[in-house]
Amino acid sequence: MSTIDFTSAIIGGTLPSKSIAVSQQFINEYADICGDYNPLHVDVEGMKSNTMFGGSTIAHGTINVEPVLQAICDIQGLQWPAAGTRVDLQFRAPVKPGFTILSNLVVKEKKTDGGKNILVCDMKIQNKDGGDCVMGTAEIVCA
Amino acid sequence: MEQKFNTSLVSGFGPAKMLPDLKFAEMEAGFDCGGGTYKITAEEVAKFAALMGDSNKGDVSVPIGMIYIFGLRICWDRKVFLDGAVRAGDKIVFFKPAKIGDTITTKLSIADKKEVKKEKDGQVRISKFLSVDMNATNQAGDKIVNIQMSFLLPKTMQ
Repeated sequence: MSTIDFTSAIIGGTLPSKSIAVSQQFINEYADICGDYNPLHVDVEGMKSNTMFGGSTIAHGTINVEPVLQAICDIQGLQWPAAGTRVDLQFRAPVKPGFTILSNLVVKEKKTDGGKNILVCDMKIQNKDGGDCVMGTAEIVCA
Repeated sequence: MEQKFNTSLVSGFGPAKMLPDLKFAEMEAGFDCGGGTYKITAEEVAKFAALMGDSNKGDVSVPIGMIYIFGLRICWDRKVFLDGAVRAGDKIVFFKPAKIGDTITTKLSIADKKEVKKEKDGQVRISKFLSVDMNATNQAGDKIVNIQMSFLLPKTMQ
């Protein structure tokens, strides 16, 4: 059951957030689970001469999205988002070791579609310094 | 770094002709990029939950972030991530939850391609993008998740 009450949700209101501290160890362990050992993610020495990302490795793009996926599940009180939940996102900036990234969901519309109550939210995933790493929208079905 | 990924977890299928074999003009909507099948084990779910700092509740549910883990495996196996391509964004629609013990089948196909023109300082620059559908179903044929991934194609294809 949703932890957010659809009826009392306020347009402009901020929903609960989730955060992840990203380290090189975290990225390496993620690679061990998904099998993506792209040097961009795991070759710390090799990336020191790569000017595109300031001499740093970058996290898998899917790590960047993780905080908002976790936040949606927490809001819905589920481990897997309720059927009909949608996320539409654009990658804006890479996430690097040392970043702490957190989700930011702001309600911009409430609608009922096919008998489902849905919170339409502006969505961002930001580094702790405020830089936007991911931007987009989320349609969160309130179970 | 030492690579600990268990490659036996991936069982891909699909045509011999894959995305790296195509020129931009040949990238048509509906092109079959193949796919893969895998069984979700409790061991893997526990490993992922530990990494994300979640306590493993010992139930049958699969953490949502694992949809990406499975997708990445199949995409790498089927060479969907072209060298030098840049991920632009994802559109995700969720359906039925994945459960421990499920056998998931993921299929990949070209959804769309587009050329975006930008004018700057009197010069027109065209950027080529490709979108790939990733559709996952369980052993009963129920939809789990659909993800449409968009890429800026590598400089060699621009």
